[in-house]
Amino acid sequence: MNCEDVEHFEIREVLRCILHTILFHRALGLVRPKDIDLELFEITYVQCGDVELERKIDEKIDQFIDRVEKHPNKKNQICLSFYEVKNKQATWFTNKVERLHWEQWYINLNVAQHPKGHLGKSHSSKVVVDPGDIATEARSARRGALESSLRDVLFQIIRFVNEKKDHVPPIPNLEGVSFPYEITISSSSDSAFGMDMFKRMLQTGHPTMLS
Amino acid sequence: MEPMIIDIILVQESPNSSSTDMFTETVVERWIVQYDSQRSLAPQIGDASYKKTYKKSIILLRSVYSTLRLLPAYKAFRKQSSSKQNCNFEINYKICSFSSPFSREEEESMKKYSFTPVDAQQGRLSVSVIYREDLSDFNLDAFVSCPLEIITDYVGSLLTDPMRAFPSTSSEKSRPTSFPIRGKQSNSSSPFQRPHSWTSGIHRDVSTQQSQPFSGSPPLYRSPYEYSPSPTEAYIHRDQNQRSPIYHKTTSDDLLSPPFSPSPSPSPPTYPYGVNHVQSRLRSETAPMSIPHPMMARSPRYLSPNLSDPSRHSLPPLSPRNTKYDPSSHESSSGIRSVRRHDSLRAGELSNTPINVSQKLSRDAKEDSGRFSSLLSSSSSPRVGFSRSSSRLSFQDDFGDSDFSCPFIVDDVDPPDSQTSLNLDGRNSSDVSSQTSSTAKKSQDAAVGALVHMLRTAPPLRKDSSYYTSHSSKIEIEGEVGAASEFFKPRKTSDALEELKVYKEMKDILLSKSGARVASKENTGT
Repeated sequence: MNCEDVEHFEIREVLRCILHTILFHRALGLVRPKDIDLELFEITYVQCGDVELERKIDEKIDQFIDRVEKHPNKKNQICLSFYEVKNKQATWFTNKVERLHWEQWYINLNVAQHPKGHLGKSHSSKVVVDPGDIATEARSARRGALESSLRDVLFQIIRFVNEKKDHVPPIPNLEGVSFPYEITISSSSDSAFGMDMFKRMLQTGHPTMLS
Repeated sequence: MEPMIIDIILVQESPNSSSTDMFTETVVERWIVQYDSQRSLAPQIGDASYKKTYKKSIILLRSVYSTLRLLPAYKAFRKQSSSKQNCNFEINYKICSFSSPFSREEEESMKKYSFTPVDAQQGRLSVSVIYREDLSDFNLDAFVSCPLEIITDYVGSLLTDPMRAFPSTSSEKSRPTSFPIRGKQSNSSSPFQRPHSWTSGIHRDVSTQQSQPFSGSPPLYRSPYEYSPSPTEAYIHRDQNQRSPIYHKTTSDDLLSPPFSPSPSPSPPTYPYGVNHVQSRLRSETAPMSIPHPMMARSPRYLSPNLSDPSRHSLPPLSPRNTKYDPSSHESSSGIRSVRRHDSLRAGELSNTPINVSQKLSRDAKEDSGRFSSLLSSSSSPRVGFSRSSSRLSFQDDFGDSDFSCPFIVDDVDPPDSQTSLNLDGRNSSDVSSQTSSTAKKSQDAAVGALVHMLRTAPPLRKDSSYYTSHSSKIEIEGEVGAASEFFKPRKTSDALEELKVYKEMKDILLSKSGARVASKENTGT
């Protein structure tokens, strides 16, 4: 997933949009699609209309925002993965029910760190312009870029969802999101990033498909 | 199998031809749904394959659903849905199994996306879309097709500016007025021309309707509503007295009062209704109550200067209708009335006056050809009777004739007269035509004045608000709640008969006078 430079206040909307779009394509049971207009962008996405799902997603997004605030200099990633529950034979070191992840979505967000007045300051020495104006222009340009890249991301999701359908297991549950899923948040510095992935792979015991 | 091609078309008015109705149509999205039956595919029999197909189709449908909201045309669709009236474009669709291919330039400006086909048992279902990525050329944001305009001659609330005359705009039809004046309105586009806030942008097409009906284009104001003729009118014109057709309108008049020509005589040739037109006209003049005397102003020859008579305002919350109109524009008043089919519109128009009731009434009475619904505001302001039948309007034309002389002095309007609107149905139809004593001229004014006075002092025919005498009627009106049902409060038969008698007498007097005049004329002529 593309990295986007996101402002703090935009995180929630962006994440909600992306996560709901993915889940809408994976909740194959009966849904009541709800069109949601983003406030910050001119984008409309579709939610499943499942209250429980909305609550879960909002919870995870809150956790993500907390993490971002605690570790502002780290790369923060949110991962949405779908798995199948497989009852593995109890082996001698684990007898847990195995989760077979058949799809994982990684969303990397670069949260903008610079203070808001930054742009203004940098330009003020050169041009006698109200720094606020420059900052505003830059912000709206950035916002426009973010909007178009968000739109691209959504198209990308749709494309992936369409292109790869064979791996989708049979629908176990027609209510809500049909497949069991989990949302995990990892914020790792570059060095430790690989370790998180490795750990996850160990847990699942099955090569994951990274999309 | 043939594909199904769904074209989403953006329709905009051609910028070059603003005068004609030329539209440019551009295909902004083209969806192609195709099922290719491929017998060559190894048939997979069994539930599993159906399930797979089903699952994949679900995903396909979800993708299409999401994609629809991401394509640029969705924004245009939202704009259109949110601002229906201010949109300078429209989105249509067309479904067929073939379509004209895009030109080269068009293709270059369009993007294509194909959804992964879903394999079914004996073929494969594929969906693809070709869409125009950039809609900025269409200037969709500038969607003010009905530019806001300031109505310079806004009538305003009936209460605030009662004496304001309507501008005469007989020839203009362009204004979007909402009176679907049916019946004969010949050219009186003007009556409806008066711009009002509620008319803007709504009924652009009304003009055609409006213009025809009034045949005589009398200076009377054409109200789309049938007015119940005032008692005086009835007296004058008719053989029978119908009291009923009397006043429907009176009230609110600026908006709705028919342009009565003071003289009952002009026989509006085309009254579909017969009676009422004249009567209503008369009524308006006579009723101090809210009959807008647009006519009065308009046809000064008919009207006596009583227009400014304060008695006109005698009725308490008379709608301003009485006074507002310009001498030249009989139509204007009609403009105000929206006889439009939409009830709400009508209601809206009437709502200027504190006439909730009237609105209600008008709505109720709307389709009733014979009915006059007088609008009575709860405060008993002048009632405007509207009968929404096409025939109503016809009389207005007649009033335009210069022959008309208003038998009544404007102010002498007898409140009761105006009120009678509602029951006109029964009586009206037969009466009207006879009235056309075009001979009733100014010389009759005095008689009319007396008549009016008589009517005014006559006891109300009915207890409902539609009828009221000058003083007592006021009280009545005020007392009334203005519910629609009030119009039809039962009256005693004896009261009705008495009133009938009175009208008969009046009519006889007037006829005799006019007869005498004619005779004298003939004598002098010969």
